[in-house]
This record gives sequence, C-alpha cells and structure tokens, in this order.
Amino acid sequence: MSEKQEDKLDALLRSRRIEPASPDLADRIILKAQGLAQNQTMSLWQWIRELFAEFHLPRPAYVFACTLILGFVVGFNTPMTTTGADDLDTDQVQGFLYADEAML
Amino acid sequence: MAAGWPEKDDQALLALVQQGSQPAFAELVRRHTERFYRLAYRYVRSRETAEDIVQDAFVKLWEDPGKWQPDRNTRFTTWFYRIVVNLCLDWQKKKRPLPLDEEMPLIDERETAAEAMIRIQEQKLLEKEIAALPERQRTALNLCFDEGLSNQQAAEVMGMNLKALQSLIMRAKTTLRERMKSYL
Repeated sequence: MSEKQEDKLDALLRSRRIEPASPDLADRIILKAQGLAQNQTMSLWQWIRELFAEFHLPRPAYVFACTLILGFVVGFNTPMTTTGADDLDTDQVQGFLYADEAML
Repeated sequence: MAAGWPEKDDQALLALVQQGSQPAFAELVRRHTERFYRLAYRYVRSRETAEDIVQDAFVKLWEDPGKWQPDRNTRFTTWFYRIVVNLCLDWQKKKRPLPLDEEMPLIDERETAAEAMIRIQEQKLLEKEIAALPERQRTALNLCFDEGLSNQQAAEVMGMNLKALQSLIMRAKTTLRERMKSYL
C-alpha cells in the first residue's frame, strides 16, 4: 500500500464530520443533576460507624448492660456448691413426705 | 463561589462532587461535555442520541460519584471515556443505528459542486465502512483519530496493552484501505 494512500486515509479519518452539540447541552446536564439526589456509597468504616450509631444508647444503659453481663459471667463460672449436711438429709425428707402421702 | 473551579484539576473536582458539591460538578460538565459528545456522536451518528448518552453518563456520575476511585491511578477522562463508550455500545445493541442517508452533509463553500459531491460520497462510504468494522477496531479508531488520544491513552481506555491496540488500528486501516481503494 502506497504512502499516498495511507496519508489520504489518515486525512479522511481525521476529517470525519460531526454535527455540533446543542450550545446548552452542559447547562441541561447541570440542571438535570440539580434535581437529583446523590447516592453516597459508604466505605466499610463508615458503614460500621453508621451501624453503631443506629444502636446508640445512653451511657447508664451501657453501664447497666455491662453489670448484667458481668453478673451472668460470674454466676455461671461459680460452681454450684451446696452444704453437705443438707444433701444427706434429702432421702430422709423425701421418705417422710412419701409416707405422709400414702396415709392420705 | 465558582471562581476557583477552573484552576482545580479533575481529581480535585471529583473529590468535591463526592462531597455533594454542585458547582464542582458543573465545572466538570462544562469542561468535558464537548469531547464526550464528539465521541458519542461517532458511534450513534445522531445529535439527540449522543446528547442523551452524554447526559446519562454525567447524571450517573452525579448520582453515584463513589464509582470514581481516585486511588486507582487512572485519569478521570480515561475512566469516563470508558463509561461513554460502554453506553454507546449498549445503545447500539438495543437500537439500530440511523441510516447514513439521513445525515445532513456539511458543505464547504470553497468547494465546487463536483468536489463537494465527491467528498460527501467519500464521507458516507467511510462512515459506512467504519460502522461495519468489529466493535473494538471501531473504538480504537474513534479514540485515536477523532479524539486525538495517544495510543497509550486509548489502550488504557480500552483496557488493553499498547501492542494490542496498535494491532487493532492496523487491521482497521487495512480493511478500510481495501474497501475504499477506489477513493484513495
């Protein structure tokens, strides 16, 4: 392919006609956007902060909740100890009660 | 209020748009509408449709400015060319392009009638042949010849390496030379 043809094709490609845009195109776009709200995309950090903000409680409530949690933790971790003497008497008490029921 | 906007670069304006600044958005639109319109027009060959596409692209940017990620080391124009090209291609998939005969030829007053007729014929044939090119070859030509982007910038817009882009342009030009040899 000759250089002349190459140049002619390049010139043709560069001279492709174009219909000019309306002079008010930019203004129309701006006007249209003014009437629309933005969707703000949130970062993960922002999302976490929003989440915590949704569950916002006054400080005394946090103190109360923490005390309750602490109470549960301590309660569940303490072994259920009963006095030995009471355990020994259990059978006798039950026997006495059953005996009373039989008489009735 | 708007006095400081022309000095700000696109990235700075976009950061303001992300904070909801309408003057920054307006400056961005005024700065770039024309170039994106030209690109859209190359695809759709209709002023109304090209304007709609550019408007749609900018409105989407306004509605969801978070789509622009400044840390990706990409220029705004490169990123936005891609958006406009994608919108044009979507439009072409949905609707048939306008027939070339409906276009209004531009007459240069210095030309004789015969010269003008030949030039109009050349333009029509060129548009027809460009429209018949594969999508990527067409995009490469539109970006490099009409928008005057460097090959490197066009490659970035198209998300490919420089050699692949050069190869696309070469193939497109070879096809055009072949099909238009009677005019060249």
